[in-house]
Amino acid sequence: MKSIVQVKNLTKEYKQLRAIDDLSFEVQKGEILGLLGPNGSGKSTTINCILSLLNFSQGSIQIFGSEMGPNAYQLKEKIGVVFQDVAVFEELTVIENIDYFCGLYVRDKKLRKQYIEDALQLVGLEEFQSFYPKQLSGGLLRRLNIACGVAHKPQLIILDEPTVAVDPQSRNNILDGIKTLRNQGATIIYTTHYMEEVEILCNRVIILDKGKIIASGTTDELKALAKLEEKVTVEVSDLEEKYIEEISQFKNAQDVTYHEGILCISYKKGKNNLVELMDYLKKEKILYHKIFSERPTLNDVFLELTGKDLRD
Amino acid sequence: MFFHNFKYSLKTLFRNKMLIFWTFAFPIILGTLFNMAFQDIEKNEKLDIIDIAIVDNDFFNSDSLFREIFEVLGEENEEQLFHIQYVKEEEAKELLSEKQIIGYLILEDSPRVVVNQNGISETVFQSAVEKITQTSEIFKNVSEKKINDFIEEAQGEEIGNYNSWYAEIYENLMESLEEESSQIRDTSSENLSYTMIEYYTLIAMTCLYGGILGMTGMNQCLANMSNNGKRVSVSPISKGNLIFSSACASYIAQLVGLLLLFLYTIFVIHVDYGSSFPLIVLLSLVGSFAGLSLGIFVASFFQSNENTKVGIMISFTMLGCVLSGMMGMTLKYVIDKNMPLVNRLNPVNMITDGFYALYYYDTLNRYYLNVVSLLLFSFLFIGISTFCLRRQRYDSI
Repeated sequence: MKSIVQVKNLTKEYKQLRAIDDLSFEVQKGEILGLLGPNGSGKSTTINCILSLLNFSQGSIQIFGSEMGPNAYQLKEKIGVVFQDVAVFEELTVIENIDYFCGLYVRDKKLRKQYIEDALQLVGLEEFQSFYPKQLSGGLLRRLNIACGVAHKPQLIILDEPTVAVDPQSRNNILDGIKTLRNQGATIIYTTHYMEEVEILCNRVIILDKGKIIASGTTDELKALAKLEEKVTVEVSDLEEKYIEEISQFKNAQDVTYHEGILCISYKKGKNNLVELMDYLKKEKILYHKIFSERPTLNDVFLELTGKDLRD
Repeated sequence: MFFHNFKYSLKTLFRNKMLIFWTFAFPIILGTLFNMAFQDIEKNEKLDIIDIAIVDNDFFNSDSLFREIFEVLGEENEEQLFHIQYVKEEEAKELLSEKQIIGYLILEDSPRVVVNQNGISETVFQSAVEKITQTSEIFKNVSEKKINDFIEEAQGEEIGNYNSWYAEIYENLMESLEEESSQIRDTSSENLSYTMIEYYTLIAMTCLYGGILGMTGMNQCLANMSNNGKRVSVSPISKGNLIFSSACASYIAQLVGLLLLFLYTIFVIHVDYGSSFPLIVLLSLVGSFAGLSLGIFVASFFQSNENTKVGIMISFTMLGCVLSGMMGMTLKYVIDKNMPLVNRLNPVNMITDGFYALYYYDTLNRYYLNVVSLLLFSFLFIGISTFCLRRQRYDSI
């Protein structure tokens, strides 16, 4: 598979702080690579280094097989970027904003017109063409931000947390748009701290913490890193201590907690755990409201690897 | 690509309400206020004939020069400068205490002006007396010399020729006094032209305020200054192209603001810029260029947010305006006299001083000196900005 982005031994230091520590990874053609990590883990810094906006202490970055730099205009033509902060002109309408940013890449007016229509359709802003950014909701504004970054149909798209603070409808729209871009053949680097998005979108995931890669692979590969296999949650009121003790003695149970009427049991292995628990509750005549079982998420993986939650 | 960025830079500048207010509306509002505040003062000062008295004593009656010139200045016509009462000294004192006159002249061994306070009318009266005194002294000396020379040359000849020479000298003297009267009137009018001075500082302020447009345009091109700057910085357009097209758009927008100010002042509040108008326009164009360069400098040199930079621009411009005489000419003269370097480095003063030079001097040397100073100022700031903008990557964003 052809490598579109190659980052080798990238290190970025801010005075005493090492924001990126000897980072190396590759992005293959046509894949969506997820950069997952909590705030301050170095995701945006990595993106800014890849785009030659930031100086870095050491390392090299190649895109489409060539060294990336501030004057690498031929490379820049093939890249589209959606930054975390919305970057549009308040004084321009939706269609003017897209036309302006697309026009920095595409000179042919006729072709540009077609690209703008496609971008509007991609993010579902056809009805808002003549609106000014101030007239748009937060979600619609995020969609415009994406349209401005991808209207010129780039081969490599870098999306830096594009769904931060958006409503569910806009989030679904954005995620659908990204899938469409992937289906059109674009290679995508996607940074986020929402593991659900990564699980839905990404072929491969790199988990970052304190500027270092702590794990990488497909979502299934990463989940395999987690020691727990299953997590069962039961809503049950007034559970006596002796029952909690007994449940802790179950063969596969690793960790049992009871707090405010919620019983959580983490299992090392995931076979017949739910049946065993339900039989026990029935035998002891313990009334429960809801009971459900979950497979481990990337958040659990992250928690296990770093000891902290992704949204910390 | 230049025109694409230029076109959208113009659109964003013209649709930015805050910028439109400071660079287009604010100078027009100030111009309107100046017009309302100073027009009446000027009218009053010009139309009001100054009430004075002259002590009618032997000294005055025997001094034909003073008598003649005050007759001319007190003649009832459109150009009448003084309304004169010829009274005894006691009566003059009484009129002054009752404020029926602003002062009186008493000729003894030398002319003496008595006034109660220092105002423009008092200054005009005093300067008129001083000028007449100086002029009459010169002509007295000249005529005495001429007569003595004639007597020496005409010894033994008939006295009839002496009389004809004397008549010629007297005629020349009176012609000169007529000219002197006109000059006194003109000088008085010049002293009263507050409004023009205010309009000149207003134009200078507009030129410098235009720098806010340049600064805003520049911020939109810099990755470390705005989100839009980050986005355009990752596009395949060179930084030079972006900055140049943006600066051109800012300059055009600035000139539109200046044009509006000129149209407003000429056609709405009827400011008469006189025959030097083309030179005023030239200086305004150069001044706007200086404003633009200042804006680019502030955008590239200071690593702070846009609001702080706008604050820096407005503060710098307003301070420059005050030092160059917007709030009264006295401060300009004080600065010029005591701290000349401050005003020599003050771009607002370079503009206003260029305008004054057109107004007060016969030659254009001082005007062109200010034009060259403004150009040097502009190129210096553009040079520093280029140095600051050469950076392609940032340490932090």
